[in-house]
Amino acid sequence: MSSMPEAMRHVMRDPRSKTLEDPLSLVTRLASRFRTLWMSWTYPFASVGGEFRAHYTCDLRRSIAPYVRIGDSVRLDRDVWVNIPVLPGTNEPVIVFDEGCKVGKRCMISAKNRIHFERNVVLAPSVLVMDHNHAFENVNVPIKSQGITPGGTIRIEEGCRVGFGAAIVCGKGELVIGKNSVIGPNAVVSRSVPPNSVVAGNPGQLVNDLLVNDLPAADAR
Amino acid sequence: MTTTISNPSGAVAVVEGLNGNGLNRATEQAMSKPNPKSFEDPVRVFLRALRKLHSLWLSWTYPFASVGRRFSVHYSCSLSRTIARYISIGNNVLIEQNCRVDVPIVREGCSPAIMIDDECRIGQGGTILAINRIHIERDVIFGQSVLVMDHNHAFEDVTVPIALQGTTKGGTIRIEEGCWIGFGAAIVCNEGELVIGRNSVVGVNAVVTRSIPSYSVVTGNPARVVKQFDSSKGKWVLGSSAARGSEAQSQPVEVTV
Repeated sequence: MSSMPEAMRHVMRDPRSKTLEDPLSLVTRLASRFRTLWMSWTYPFASVGGEFRAHYTCDLRRSIAPYVRIGDSVRLDRDVWVNIPVLPGTNEPVIVFDEGCKVGKRCMISAKNRIHFERNVVLAPSVLVMDHNHAFENVNVPIKSQGITPGGTIRIEEGCRVGFGAAIVCGKGELVIGKNSVIGPNAVVSRSVPPNSVVAGNPGQLVNDLLVNDLPAADAR
Repeated sequence: MTTTISNPSGAVAVVEGLNGNGLNRATEQAMSKPNPKSFEDPVRVFLRALRKLHSLWLSWTYPFASVGRRFSVHYSCSLSRTIARYISIGNNVLIEQNCRVDVPIVREGCSPAIMIDDECRIGQGGTILAINRIHIERDVIFGQSVLVMDHNHAFEDVTVPIALQGTTKGGTIRIEEGCWIGFGAAIVCNEGELVIGRNSVVGVNAVVTRSIPSYSVVTGNPARVVKQFDSSKGKWVLGSSAARGSEAQSQPVEVTV
């Protein structure tokens, strides 16, 4: 916190921020708090950190909890869907959130093999992260009945930010989004991205490399 | 088996219980045997009951053009009773959270404006808006946040705010059997008929404004065919059959769906 920019401190001292919160919103906050405590206490997570916060509308089934590892200060916002379509045969965690991850509203995370969010990854609303796909090769059967592909693994490294509506889909092999990369809004990423890069568009293309000096220090986030 | 022993001096020693092979016994057991299936959260059972009740209430009391068996719709969906008679729903249709199925402008002879056939699944946050006709045939699955709209806002008059300009005339949309519409795709038809052929795949975040042939994969914005089933060869080939041999062949595109 000590390295917070001066401008940001000013915003935080803005007297308008002292306006009382609507008491009605306390109800939903309370519901979310109860849901979080309920999940932390009764769900058999692989591990769950302190200050984990999940909105009460989150969709995370209890049966997949043994394969989900949640670090400290992880936040799951409204309508986030965390899913494991096929339970794996081992006890290895399939979805890993390291500390400080924030998952925005309406995100969908679906893992069959492994999806790893490293520290301080921020997902904007409506992001899709999926390490498998529907199979569609058989033309005689509706795609709905063809099951899913074997898929690959996804690792989103420390400090990445994923923009609104972006999709990170891994058909096969390993997809790595390098450290401190930025994925633009509505981009579609299906290949690995080097560290400190900016990806935008559909299909996603490398726009430019970020200068490392321009980045705020990791502890400021 | 890991045991932690605190000795009087305050130091912590970790003792690993190893078996003959040097493998941790607990790990070995875990690797050979999957986790026992944990029972479902009782709160979730309550929510499922709520959903079931909502679906039954809709099927019994809403004046749908037709409604099939085991219609399941989440209670957070916006599906108004006044437009229910312009909607026809088949058997085993599943509509997930926060969907909007609506007929914003009711016109003469458009009934039913929205037809969802048997076994369709509409993912979370889907939006289906029709003023003419949207026909979703059987076994179609939708990802999340899909938009299907057979009209648009008019914007040609520069002196009036677009909000007051109404909608365009619009066209009709037909999504044929067995398709899969990926996450965040938008299917918008301004005029004429837009048909998405059988067993086609619309990729993630694709924007579709024209018809798509059967057995093809489209991605991107604007959507183009990146993969198609060649019935003469009996296999999937890159690029569309029309553009084959030219640009599409020389730049093979990785299929993202």
